[in-house]
Amino acid sequence: MRMPRATQRPPLGPGSDTAEPEQLADPSGGWRPTVSGVALVVALLALIAVAVTTQRFLTLDNARAILASTAFVGITAIGATLVMIVGSAVSMAVSQTATVVAMMFLATQQLGLWTAVLIAVAAGVAITAAQGAIIGFWNSNPIVLTIAAGFAIGGIATWFSGGTPVYPQTQAFDLLNATPLGLSLAVYVLLGTAVLAQWVLSRTTAGRQMYLIGENRAAARAAGLPVGRVTTLAWAFFGACIALTGIFLASFNTSATVTLGGTLTLDAIAAVLVGGTAITGGRGSALRTLGGALLISTISDVLLLRGFPTGAQILTKGLLVLAVVVIVHVRTTRSWR
Amino acid sequence: MSGSATVGPLDADVWVEGLSRSFNGVAAVRDVSFAVGAGEIHALCGHNGAGKSTVVKLLSGQLAPDAGRIVLRGEAVDFRSRQAAQRSGVALVDQELSVIPALTVLENMLLGDIHVPFVNRRRWAAADCRRILDDMGLGHISPDQPLSALSIGERQLVEIAKALSQKARLVILDEPTATLSDVETEHVFSAIRRVAGLGCSVIFVSHRLSEVLALCDTVTVLRDGRSVATTPARDLTVDELIVQMLGAAPRRLTATRAWDPAHAPALRIEHLHVPGRLSDFTLTASAGRVYALAGQLGSGASDVLRALAGLHPKATGVVELHGRPLPFRDPVRVARAGLAFVSNDRKSEGLFLGTSVARNLVATRLPRLARAGVVQSRLERRTALALAEQSGLPEGRLDDDVLALSGGNQQKVFVGRCLGGGDVWALLLDEPTRGVDVGGRAEIHRLLREAADHGLVVIFASTELDELLELGDVIVTMRDGRVVNRYEGAVDEALLMRDMTHGVDAP
Repeated sequence: MRMPRATQRPPLGPGSDTAEPEQLADPSGGWRPTVSGVALVVALLALIAVAVTTQRFLTLDNARAILASTAFVGITAIGATLVMIVGSAVSMAVSQTATVVAMMFLATQQLGLWTAVLIAVAAGVAITAAQGAIIGFWNSNPIVLTIAAGFAIGGIATWFSGGTPVYPQTQAFDLLNATPLGLSLAVYVLLGTAVLAQWVLSRTTAGRQMYLIGENRAAARAAGLPVGRVTTLAWAFFGACIALTGIFLASFNTSATVTLGGTLTLDAIAAVLVGGTAITGGRGSALRTLGGALLISTISDVLLLRGFPTGAQILTKGLLVLAVVVIVHVRTTRSWR
Repeated sequence: MSGSATVGPLDADVWVEGLSRSFNGVAAVRDVSFAVGAGEIHALCGHNGAGKSTVVKLLSGQLAPDAGRIVLRGEAVDFRSRQAAQRSGVALVDQELSVIPALTVLENMLLGDIHVPFVNRRRWAAADCRRILDDMGLGHISPDQPLSALSIGERQLVEIAKALSQKARLVILDEPTATLSDVETEHVFSAIRRVAGLGCSVIFVSHRLSEVLALCDTVTVLRDGRSVATTPARDLTVDELIVQMLGAAPRRLTATRAWDPAHAPALRIEHLHVPGRLSDFTLTASAGRVYALAGQLGSGASDVLRALAGLHPKATGVVELHGRPLPFRDPVRVARAGLAFVSNDRKSEGLFLGTSVARNLVATRLPRLARAGVVQSRLERRTALALAEQSGLPEGRLDDDVLALSGGNQQKVFVGRCLGGGDVWALLLDEPTRGVDVGGRAEIHRLLREAADHGLVVIFASTELDELLELGDVIVTMRDGRVVNRYEGAVDEALLMRDMTHGVDAP
């Protein structure tokens, strides 16, 4: 079997005649075989088939590798989910923020690990929540604002580091590179963050208001919901997540340069989108983002094991985001008429 | 000058014969006929739902008639689109401005003009634009000015100029003056007269009857989708026009709840002012009564409610709720003080359409359903159920998306969201039954009456005479951002209509 099933998806066009009217008649009913649903299931089955037939995929080490490679981007993506749900789309300043936080973390090692963590998280929250406040209270455009903020933050990072790597005075952070039960600490933090974010979104007042504000900001404003405060809160949570990623990046690399954040900005957005969160806000979940991040890592892993070059991995990530965004779009426009 | 083959600017004639159109089996326009001569300004009048806007859409190619025909200069036309209508020389100046503020005056004039070749000849166009602007009395405006630098009235004039530049032979103006000041209105009128003087036929749709009589040559009145009468304007008075619009003996206010001394004044509004929209509105409302603000688009009635809800940040004045000052420039604090606002735009400023009925019902009171910031699911469910029952929503639909509901039920969700225990003291509703069928309307009226009986202040704005008379204990008529009259009992449709359309200061 060479490349089984991957090319054998049902055609998207003709099948829609039967699925569409059902959707319209009962948009909230139980699961019905929709085109997008079928496509999703077939795609997942194809992935599993390809993965299982890949040598060395079904090993404990490989599973650990997938989880470990998910963790850094995943933690940030969980935070980005809240921001996308509250209707602020995305931040373009993630990499720079993570870099600055990582530098601060390493530069404050001599104060003790937990103090350094606290300072780093506080910095991440402050930097990001400030942007959230401007977006929430003054209705600024998040893309424009965060591009500007990204340059400013990156500039400050370059200025203070003088363009050279920041090295810690002590190695207190080594504790964070521990691997209890064979998994890196970041994986546990990722799972913890995902569960916490999911709980915040589904159970707390603020989380529920995030969905409402993201779905219809004008309605939320007219109804007197605290649009500014809740938006700021979502961004603050995001900031904490970015800071955690920055801390782990710093510990992992033991030093921080201005390029430490790398492609974190876009990788996190990709994970949230693949999880099916609507970029226009109001829909999505943290657990689905976790799924999206895992899916991206798994596919990259499979491609790596099969000997495809890095370019193929990046290309696949792009196609995956595109496919999911199209599916989500088709679904929402169909049910929204 | 790539004009169409039938250009003949000086003898445009419009005949409308037996025009009919229904929607889902309900006739919106039935057998409407009238004629407009070249250079004539012809008014279309009628109360809400009389069929004016359907006629406008039929004439401008946005709708196709079920029966009847439109004859332009002896030639029967069958418009398939607005472009087709434009090609035949019909220009529409819409209620909503369709000019784009970021573009220049010239660019806006060229916008959507089907006569413009793919490659614009800008220099020639600029000269043409200059001439048309001068014709309109807009000599002080340059074609290269961005439209955003112009006042709303000037933009309206540009829109009319645009219609002219498209070599229109029939210009339709749908409520062009609804949001304009008197001075601006006067400019628009002289522009319309100039357009007519050039031989264009003009159809003018307006609620403002005194303006209609001052401007137009002939008035066709529509009622319940039919053309009732076509009369020369000089033979009409505002009162006669109102009689034509309302038909049989006007109905009077049904039942009024008298002021109950047990209810102290609950909401005191003093000198409420919104720049450009509302001046000096004062009203003291007591709990248990329903206050109706009667006014057409641009009258300021809905601005009173929006200002109270915190949606006009530039509003000034004094507002007190139960003797305590209300911070009415901040929607969050207004809501916390216990004012609930129901916007006239249910879709974009009201409901969360993709969210379930239950979640919509509790959307504004999540903090009250939470302990330490965590929403108590059982309490939430109970509250949603209670609100659904109170607002007459079927329990089985609680988990459906609001989107799947009918307009009437959607509105019940919207109103129902504002009801319920102890945290709302005043209901502010802008057009509470817009887009709601007759049955749903009666139920919403019942809900509002019950809310008042439970001790809430209910204030609503409406343009519908039936609704104002049925529901309002006190009716305040408004026009041009000012209060015209205040009625408690002893009022009928004609009186309301006169206030809403004619105004105090008109002749």
